[in-house]
Amino acid sequence: MSPLSSEQWRAIIPYLDQVLAMPEEERAVWLSSLAEQNSALVAQLRSLLDEQRASVQEGFLECSPVPLATPPGLAGQSVGAYTLLSQIGQGGMGSVWVAERSDGRFERQVAVKFLNISLMGRAGEERFKREGSILGRLAHPHIAELLDAGVSKAGQPYLVLEHVEGDHIDRYCDQRQLDVADRVRLFLDVLIAVAHAHANLIVHRDLKPSNVLVRNDGQVKLLDFGIAKLLEGEGQDEAATALTVEGGRAMTPEYAAPEQLRGEPITTATDVYALGVLLYVLLTGQHPAGPGMHTPADLVKAIVETEPLRLSDVVTQNKTDSATANAERRITTPEKLSRLLRGDLDTIVAKALKKNPRERYVSVTALADDLSRYLRNEPITARPDTLSYRAGKFVRRNRTAVALVALSVVALVGGAVGTLVQARNARAQRDLALRQVQRTEALNEFHQFILSDAAPSGRPFTVSELLERAEHIATQQRATNDTNRVDLLAALGFQYSVLGEDAKAHRVLEEAYKLSRGLSEKSVRAQASCNFASGLVREGDLARAETLVEEGLREISNDPQVALVRVNCLRNGSEVALERGDAREGVARVEAAQEILRHSQFDSEMEEMLISIDLAEAYRVAGQNDKAIPTFEKAAALMSSMGRSETQSAGVLFNDWALALSKVGRPLEAEKLMRRTIEIGRVGGTDENVDPMQLVNYAFILRQLGRLNEAADYAERAYRRGKQAGSPIAIYYSLNTRAYVYLDQGDFPRAAATLTELEPILRRTFPPDNAWFGRLALSQSLLAAGEGNSQQAGLLADRAVTLYETAVKAHARGAGELPLALLHRSAISLAAHRSYQAEADAVRAVAMVQADAQPGAFSSSMGSAYLTLGRALQAQDKREEARTAFRSAAEHLQNTLGPDHPDTRAARQLAEANPLQK
Amino acid sequence: METSISRLIGAADKGDVGAADTLFSALYSELHRLAKRALAHEGAAMSLGASTLLHEAYLDMAAREGTAFPDRARFMGYAARVMRNLIIDHARERHAQKRGGLFEITSLDTDAMEQAVDHRELAHISEALDELAKVEPGLAEIIDLKFFCGFSFAEIAAMRKVSERTVQRNWETARIYLHRKIRTDLSL
Repeated sequence: MSPLSSEQWRAIIPYLDQVLAMPEEERAVWLSSLAEQNSALVAQLRSLLDEQRASVQEGFLECSPVPLATPPGLAGQSVGAYTLLSQIGQGGMGSVWVAERSDGRFERQVAVKFLNISLMGRAGEERFKREGSILGRLAHPHIAELLDAGVSKAGQPYLVLEHVEGDHIDRYCDQRQLDVADRVRLFLDVLIAVAHAHANLIVHRDLKPSNVLVRNDGQVKLLDFGIAKLLEGEGQDEAATALTVEGGRAMTPEYAAPEQLRGEPITTATDVYALGVLLYVLLTGQHPAGPGMHTPADLVKAIVETEPLRLSDVVTQNKTDSATANAERRITTPEKLSRLLRGDLDTIVAKALKKNPRERYVSVTALADDLSRYLRNEPITARPDTLSYRAGKFVRRNRTAVALVALSVVALVGGAVGTLVQARNARAQRDLALRQVQRTEALNEFHQFILSDAAPSGRPFTVSELLERAEHIATQQRATNDTNRVDLLAALGFQYSVLGEDAKAHRVLEEAYKLSRGLSEKSVRAQASCNFASGLVREGDLARAETLVEEGLREISNDPQVALVRVNCLRNGSEVALERGDAREGVARVEAAQEILRHSQFDSEMEEMLISIDLAEAYRVAGQNDKAIPTFEKAAALMSSMGRSETQSAGVLFNDWALALSKVGRPLEAEKLMRRTIEIGRVGGTDENVDPMQLVNYAFILRQLGRLNEAADYAERAYRRGKQAGSPIAIYYSLNTRAYVYLDQGDFPRAAATLTELEPILRRTFPPDNAWFGRLALSQSLLAAGEGNSQQAGLLADRAVTLYETAVKAHARGAGELPLALLHRSAISLAAHRSYQAEADAVRAVAMVQADAQPGAFSSSMGSAYLTLGRALQAQDKREEARTAFRSAAEHLQNTLGPDHPDTRAARQLAEANPLQK
Repeated sequence: METSISRLIGAADKGDVGAADTLFSALYSELHRLAKRALAHEGAAMSLGASTLLHEAYLDMAAREGTAFPDRARFMGYAARVMRNLIIDHARERHAQKRGGLFEITSLDTDAMEQAVDHRELAHISEALDELAKVEPGLAEIIDLKFFCGFSFAEIAAMRKVSERTVQRNWETARIYLHRKIRTDLSL
């Protein structure tokens, strides 16, 4: 073989290039045809192709030209209980050696990994060993075992690991030409291993193909679990670690999550992201940051800012040759590959790759569940970012509802997207009865969405108009069956009550109930009676509502397939119980509903959120505000994560939350929430669609803040809306609030007229021991005091206190108002110069409010109680004690009602007017 | 040094041998300085990617010399060859010192399973590369970028605005050349 001259090389290189571009099988044909013209050239080409095979075999130029970090003389030396045999690798992290046990007790070879880090003193060594031993407990067939960790005599830390012979997962898949489903299956093994580590509170932090090996037998083995954490110096921040550890390997953080680059906390979601990148690469052959060169800066920018292309787009978008090659490695064509990836896989990977860790799958298991569902052709839980998926599935699922859907599609555009109820269990899902429940639920939720939740956005028609048309369709459509008609009417009834159209709600719910009596399906019958019960609550017919709920609950079996109907009935039942004044039963029912939902096979964010709202509301009504406020917060967070914070349901939530805050004496926060509620409900600048109860509540909070003119205005608006909507509950609440505001304003004649209108309504609606009569007695007492009839005022105050004490004993609604009654009576006693009695009531009220308050928090109720107590003490000339009470009052009031509230000012002045004597 | 890198690259492009030599030593001291600075900054035990170093060098010099500075691809063509020499000198030095020097330079593709190369073999490769540069400078440059500096095929393709497959084919051709060359040289 003679060396080729430069001239010869120049001549042959173009031919060489040409033959290298050909697939192996074409080369022989091409070469022999060329040989006919120039046999010498072909002989040279053939020998150069042999040269190529030889260089491939030798791995010529494939290794790094890097000088060894560990001196090569280490072979034969021992570290710990192991003898080093030969070096097998060298990387930025350090060098890797094959080793075996020095005492021969253990035949299997191991890998010893020296880490290029310097440990800071003995404490650093201790920490390294400690963390190493934690990782050592991570036993899983898909995780390379960590056998030992230590520090060599020369001071270099090392790890002893199970020696794994295998290939990087991406190369493995390509070489074996695995198709999409097989790749997903293999990837599931990776997920199982990562989930196991997460369950042991170990985050990998550095998942990438070179750490995910597949052995020849197809067994997946994950390497280097938690080692990124070990490499972290004491007190070093996370971003520096991610980059410097990666930096050792050339600063290309291709699998780093945005939070790693931003130096934010690393959690299991960080691994979810890296797994998303890995799945992206396995399915498309490309990195989510796109093809081409990535400088570290470009990569960081892409990871933190740029949304990756969808899988299905990326496989057809790039240059045809690489796209084709990529598809071929997945035994398909680019177009077919794109179709395979479109839809669920697009959605799953996008959810894993969310920039915000909280938007990703909550766990690796959740990601694995969705991929398994994909493999089984079941609906996945991740939601795509578009509406078409949901609407598409809905239309396919339910034909009878299409007319209504088509009618409402305009309202959908731009609206928020919630979730459909999905069955967790594949077998159960095939069950016909279950599908029925799901269908119903989907229908209800769909209606709720288009009709109530879409309401605040722009509209080409009014909601009432839409509902009336829907009602017309539901009652007139001959084609539909009675079961479906009951469903539709129930959904409409719900909508009407959302809008405060109680009379209309009553009408359709009653019709649905009557229709259901002719049906044999128990779940439909039960649902109809519970829904009707809910309608009757607003009508004020509480006894009948309770009967209907009990009837409904009796009719539903414990069959898990009708779990949602049971949940729904319990929720309505809770509403009835609370309104009836049985707070304990109200809490019990909604807690039972939550329990059933938790153990059922339904996985619905929506349902979970609704239950949280109900539970919070039940706690609030039962006076357990310390439980209610955090539950409201949780519900609001769920709602906002579902993109629903501007919806009618959010309005209801803010309303209830505001009431709890008002109750614990935080009216400033309450006012903000309540105002938001009303803004959400307001359409086109009018109150026409605002729930009158919300107007009442706003008036109540304004009164608490001393904004009396506004309070009177809103209470009057609420009264008018209540009359207009035919809502007795809104009428008596607004009358009550009006009376209080007029009393505060000193407008006794109007207060008297209002109370005269209120009393007969209450007598018609409630049994005589109901808390409402406590409220009535209290306002009548205040009126009597204002009119100068102190004896009558005292008697009425006594009656109010007695009624509330009864409520406290019965754990009934209104029990929380007892301190208020005591304070009122204290004020009346004081006016009648019975200061000793005034002090006793005030002391009792202070103690009760204190017991109910959140420790350390300011409360306007505490402020009022102290103010009243101070006055009673002052009247007895107990100046020092009075001064302390006034100062406490001022502090609480200043922080809850603001410095300008009349009570705040009064407390401040009184504190100053009672200087320390001596 | 008065003469700017831009001017030297311009002259070297036109075949000015003296300018090419000056450019080489200017880049050599520049890269050496950068490597040292990075190490002083990051700590002695830290490893540093050669491609990262080159990117940094480019940004550094481009910022200093302004808009007239040549594009990244042209710069890298020269700088990668300089980097090769820097790496080989370093390997030789290290070998002479026996124990590890202050720093090491790793290539982009460092894979835990890959072996490092002996400094004598590196010297052979380097000589053969200089020969190849006379025949087909573009091919030699790919070896400098990929093997010595650790750029990936995709990066080189993007730099040169050709397909990744073309870069791979060129790499294959260059590798055949080097393999043959070293084998025949050693057997002589």
